[in-house]
Amino acid sequence: MRLKRFSVIAMALLAACKPPTPAKQMDSIQSWLATAELDGDAWLRHAAPDNYSRQTLELSRETLLQVSHDLLSSHPPGVDSAMLDSVLIRSRRHIGQMSRFIEAKNPPAFARQLDSLRADQKIVKRIANSIESGR
Amino acid sequence: MKKILQISLGIVTAVGGFLEIGSVVTAVQAGASFNYQLLWAVLLGTICLIFLVEMSGRLAAVSKHTIVEATRERFGFPFFFIVMIGMTLVAFLVLVAELGGIGLSLQILTGIGFPWWAIPVSFLVWLLMWKGTFGLIENGASLLGLVTLSFVVAAVRLHPDWGSAAHGLLPTFPGARKASYWFVAVSILGASISPSLMYFYSSGAIEDEWDESYIPINRLTATLGMSLGGFLSMAVLVVAALVFHPRGIDVQKFEQASLLMTTALPKWGFTLFALSMLFACFGAALEISLAIAYFFAQGFGWNWSEDLAPSRDARFCLTYTIIILLGAVPLLFGVDPVKVTVMSMALTSATLPLAIVPFIFLMNDPIYLGKHRNGWLSNSVVLIIILLSFILAVISIPLELIGG
Repeated sequence: MRLKRFSVIAMALLAACKPPTPAKQMDSIQSWLATAELDGDAWLRHAAPDNYSRQTLELSRETLLQVSHDLLSSHPPGVDSAMLDSVLIRSRRHIGQMSRFIEAKNPPAFARQLDSLRADQKIVKRIANSIESGR
Repeated sequence: MKKILQISLGIVTAVGGFLEIGSVVTAVQAGASFNYQLLWAVLLGTICLIFLVEMSGRLAAVSKHTIVEATRERFGFPFFFIVMIGMTLVAFLVLVAELGGIGLSLQILTGIGFPWWAIPVSFLVWLLMWKGTFGLIENGASLLGLVTLSFVVAAVRLHPDWGSAAHGLLPTFPGARKASYWFVAVSILGASISPSLMYFYSSGAIEDEWDESYIPINRLTATLGMSLGGFLSMAVLVVAALVFHPRGIDVQKFEQASLLMTTALPKWGFTLFALSMLFACFGAALEISLAIAYFFAQGFGWNWSEDLAPSRDARFCLTYTIIILLGAVPLLFGVDPVKVTVMSMALTSATLPLAIVPFIFLMNDPIYLGKHRNGWLSNSVVLIIILLSFILAVISIPLELIGG
């Protein structure tokens, strides 16, 4: 009886310990894309210093790499993995470019990358919505 | 005139010293993830804190005992020892978080990573404790902390929908992310109801030689000071709800939180946030280190006073020296102060009954308080809120840990 109770608790804990769902991972991806966008916008408005903005963009890029790797390696059902992968690679590239344009002090080029990032954000949002509605 | 000055200074220091990394991080996470929905937790925590701080001052003014001395005397050493272990562990985690908060503020200002600041910051905290007086620590740090009023300016400039915000003052059940919602609520309560603050406050009352004539001043200072402080926490939550929530930013890192005021105050918002965190965490690190040293010294019957020369209360000074040194170690290894903050605030909630229930017994003991004993209202309010936060903590901490 005790063994049975123990195994039920253990199974419940194991079930609860499962990795984050694709929807949660998409939330995290959207959160870090939005962080990069807000940071970029603040830098363009001279509301955030260079050092900080570059560090935050770098942090966003690294976290996006990690989360998207985890998400795509689990082959989430109902997700166009190829499309998601390509948009996330592109987003990370935009963020990397933004970081470089801060160093080069080139706001016009930075603004173009920021606009592209915003366009990618919309695509990611559509994919996230499709996962949400497919649940 | 002297009393008016004392009251004003008390309120100003209470406001300036109210925010620290715990209250800011939990309020930012609440606003970012749940819009105004968790304003009620800040309100509840502030109400409880007003009662507890008033009681701490009253106990010291009437009985001439600090909470620690009275707990040990009334309940005996074995029970006191259990309380001491629990409170010291939680307070130590909070100290790590505050030292980390200073390091993170300097990181965003200078670009130099926070682990590099662990030793210089700890040394500076220790130096101020070693050389400074109680007045300098209590008033100096809190006056600098008045820069946190910029959160209110930012909230007003963002033109929040005050009706929706007022709605958030009433508890609601979340539609989704239930475990996360209750975990953040518990963390807010833990950040608001800090037993270390009570120990610090009652020790301060003894350091300042309060007597029964201070009871009205204490009541006014606790009520107005903590209310205005709670208002500051609410302002942080409101700004986060307006800046992060619509963008879907779930704040996990300090770098994200640092963008809090760049929308409302484009020119100075970033610097004001960094300075607010720097001064608030610095003041809190001093207070927590002192609170732990007071706890040990008063519990073991050593000499203690921040106003004495270190040679006259050597063991008291040795305690804060060791604690501050140990507090720097996790940061040197790059432990994320934000994660330590959130966990320490939730653990504070879980351990609240250990500190508060014996305190309520003391506050009803005629030997210590005479005619100034607690009434039914203060007993009920505090016990209900403590019980609520304990139950929420016991349920939500495992859920949050398991759910990652």
